Amino acid sequence: MDPARRLGPAQIDVLAQLAVATVLLGGIYALIAVGLTLIFGIMRVVNFAHGEFLMLGMYLAFWAFALYAVDPYVVVLISIPVFFVVGLVTYVLVMRGVIQASHNVQIFTTVGLSVVLQNVALVAWAGDFRFVRPWHLSTVIRAGSTTFNLSQVVAFLIAVGLTVALVAFMKWTHAGRVMRATAQDRDAATLMGIDTDRVYRLTFAIGIAAVGAAGVLVAPLYAIYPTAGLQFVLLAYVVVVLGGLGDMFGAMLGSFIVAAVEVAGSYLFGTAWKEIFYFILFILVLVFRPAGLFGQRGAETLGV
Amino acid sequence: MIARLRSRPGAVALFGLAALTPLFVRDAYFLDSLVLILLWGALSAAWNVAGGYAGQVSIGHASFFGLGAYAAALMVTRFGRGPWLGMLVGVVLSLGAGFIIGFLSNRLRGPYFALSTIAFSQVLLIGVSRWRGFTAGGEGIPVPFRPGFTTLGLGHIAWVYMALAAALLCYAVEVYLERSRLGYRLAGVREDEDAAEALGIPTRRLKVLAIALSAALTSICGSLWAQYVGFVDPTYVFSVDLSVKFALNTIIGGMGTALGPYLGSILITSLETYLRATFSGVKTGFAGIYLIIYGTVLILVVRFVPDGLAGFASRLRARRAHA
Repeated sequence: MDPARRLGPAQIDVLAQLAVATVLLGGIYALIAVGLTLIFGIMRVVNFAHGEFLMLGMYLAFWAFALYAVDPYVVVLISIPVFFVVGLVTYVLVMRGVIQASHNVQIFTTVGLSVVLQNVALVAWAGDFRFVRPWHLSTVIRAGSTTFNLSQVVAFLIAVGLTVALVAFMKWTHAGRVMRATAQDRDAATLMGIDTDRVYRLTFAIGIAAVGAAGVLVAPLYAIYPTAGLQFVLLAYVVVVLGGLGDMFGAMLGSFIVAAVEVAGSYLFGTAWKEIFYFILFILVLVFRPAGLFGQRGAETLGV
Repeated sequence: MIARLRSRPGAVALFGLAALTPLFVRDAYFLDSLVLILLWGALSAAWNVAGGYAGQVSIGHASFFGLGAYAAALMVTRFGRGPWLGMLVGVVLSLGAGFIIGFLSNRLRGPYFALSTIAFSQVLLIGVSRWRGFTAGGEGIPVPFRPGFTTLGLGHIAWVYMALAAALLCYAVEVYLERSRLGYRLAGVREDEDAAEALGIPTRRLKVLAIALSAALTSICGSLWAQYVGFVDPTYVFSVDLSVKFALNTIIGGMGTALGPYLGSILITSLETYLRATFSGVKTGFAGIYLIIYGTVLILVVRFVPDGLAGFASRLRARRAHA
């Protein structure tokens, strides 16, 4: 029997709603993950502090809204240059010195950075949950049988726009080509006269700008608190490993897979258990396809 | 024996001093600090077994700590048995978990391994938080205090010796790894896995073994900690911060050195105690300020003294011998 015929209209409505939720969520996850995968692909550093920059983005949105009543989707425009500079400063102060160091040094440098940023936020703004409630959060849109709010849609559109812009930048600009060349072969790029230090600086700044903007975009949708970044960054690791560390297209596809797992898991088992599904997915991927679903086989054993 | 002890004057001084302290000092606050220094030192040494000696840097060791803590606490509260049995169950569970993590992430190196250990501790955190019927979920479990050795309801002085025993156990394992064939082979895995493999060392099996051994030691200390502190909650015992703490003590003291984790623990635990006393009145809490310093120290140490205090000391000694 045709399975579609067995599905009543109610089931189709649920499926449509779940599909829409997956797409909206996946678009935002993609923006978080491309920054992480970009930094990894080019600098060969896993940024364990990535989530903390997202958290800072959320606070930027919160304070702009609370103090000056600026809409988060206007703040996005400001956040990109702001976090670009934050990324530059972080690179110069923290990352530059460890770029040639061992993995352990790099891991614990970014872990240390994450601890510092979380607690600067805790001391400066206390641990309370804070919320941004712009008008569009309560504007409900109905399309067919599905409903969602305007904030989600706008966040999705801006996130996709920024992600596409970043991919286009990497593909078609000179700077993007130089960055990809460095990712392919650091030594050869240096021999071709590429200043790798500048490439890393730019890479880190772009990656942080992307995740900072993502933080501003998700601010109306989630509670804001000093360790808010953790939930997103763990998810971003799953996405990035799924797509293959360093692979931007893989990261985008991975985002939608993770979003689908999360949406389906929450629907079937309740939201309390949703995280456990992508961690199980993560562990499965690490075991069976550690270089990612689309990655080069064997990358994980190089310890890159 | 005496000659061996003489070759490790730092350890003899440190553990000897810890053993003698309760004879002269009765101040509860001071003894409490001593217990914590020894316990965190032992936990860091347990981390060092995998991270320092075998090069398997984990940021998920809180998994095993939490398993030990929960096994001991639940054995008392749910089954009405002694915490020692819980400790044993914790060791079995952690050995199993260590084998699983080690086996699953066998091919993974560097950042991939660290990521998979974080994922594992998060799975446990979520599982324990949500399984309310058995673990009491996010509320945590208060562990009742029943005086006596079998129930681990000990006074301050007895706790010093208990923590010292744990510290000596972990230290002994570290020393064994410095002197045995197993230790040399693990060092081979750490320094160059491909070369070790080429020399016929079963690198995968050894990595799993090191992780499981480290997990079992961590679990023992976790059980002790649960009984000492008297309260277990999932967001603390499975936190990434806790995993980082084990690593931080070891890195500051010196990875792959037997005494390093204890030196790191002395420094970091005292700093924590001092800051707790200094900032206890501040509204935003001392935790934030303490952790800012802690994170900064971590960044600076891995950058400028990557071989830690122990490495720094031996370099100084070498320079003096040279001059």
